[in-house]
Amino acid sequence: MIVAMTGPVPHRPPDAVARPAAGPRAEGRTVGASATADARRERGVALARAARGGDTIAMNDLLDHLIPYVSAICAPIALSSRQDAVQETLVVVFRKLRGLQEPAALYGWVRAIAAREAVRVARRDARDIPAEPADLPAPGDPQLAADIDDVLARLSPEHRAVLVLRDVEGLDEQEAAALLGVPEGTVKSRLHRARAGFRRMWTG
Amino acid sequence: MTYDETGPPGPQRPEAASEASATPDTGLDAVRRLHVMAAGIPGARVVEGVLDAEFADVWAVMSDLEGGFGEFQPDMRNVRVTARDGDRVTAHARSRYGMRARLDGVVRPGWCWLQSRFVIIGMAAEPLPDGAGTRVALTGGLRIPGRALIVPGAGRELRRSLDRLTRRMD
Repeated sequence: MIVAMTGPVPHRPPDAVARPAAGPRAEGRTVGASATADARRERGVALARAARGGDTIAMNDLLDHLIPYVSAICAPIALSSRQDAVQETLVVVFRKLRGLQEPAALYGWVRAIAAREAVRVARRDARDIPAEPADLPAPGDPQLAADIDDVLARLSPEHRAVLVLRDVEGLDEQEAAALLGVPEGTVKSRLHRARAGFRRMWTG
Repeated sequence: MTYDETGPPGPQRPEAASEASATPDTGLDAVRRLHVMAAGIPGARVVEGVLDAEFADVWAVMSDLEGGFGEFQPDMRNVRVTARDGDRVTAHARSRYGMRARLDGVVRPGWCWLQSRFVIIGMAAEPLPDGAGTRVALTGGLRIPGRALIVPGAGRELRRSLDRLTRRMD
């Protein structure tokens, strides 16, 4: 998982494909990708409605639909505990699905549960911080992804959550604060410390 | 074979080998999936055990709806698959009490989820690392017609099914 350090990117619905917006053809592709993402999002909402109505095959399909989305949020926060975080997120989602007032709010609701559960699981499974990293890998080095995970592992779960919500999910500070249940100022300070810590650790 | 019965969520476990996972490369193995599904169905229980057999052999029996499936699912007799489309399956079954059911659902490696108006059947299997056997899990039972609710008392039937499957694999 790679966390961008250059500021938030737009939130992408499940399975959306990021495409550059350069020129008419690229713009066409972006519109197409957006339409595809919208269609997938509508499918998720429709599955949630059917699952709430008691159709367990719709529940099965909703699970297929949500696993990649939940994994993308939980993995960079919970790291090696990601399977536990994904499972526990989805257990909460499925237990509470019938209480979801508005199925159209499915994704925001799932995202909030995923971030909270990932932080909780990561804290529960907190382990010793490893030793200093080895020298920086060259670009394209297959070790690169593993080293990014290693650097992420040195941040606290709360700091990883802020990075994911701001820099990967593209939430603003107010939204991230509401989702994590902390003041906006706390998100700002955590984000500052997380980015600074990430840069410091990454550049040695 | 050892087994345990739980309500959802399932116990934490080491990650299983993933080559036959129901959802490859997405971060949730089949047994964990089954616990999630059970969490969304009030009354559902999950029984889980480890069989001393290869995943391929175990799943060959569990997924053989017209054969091995009826040998360990106590109330499923004379199952006939009437349609397959990818991983989607339609089957007709008759219980030992003579009731007929149309089952619709999904069957893919390590994962089976079927429902009729009156029954829910969920099965999962995952190979353990280093060839240490196969973890299996079962859920389901009689449902309130058309609803995601299991009638109380399903746990005993699930344990019987797991016992039968274990004997079948010995």
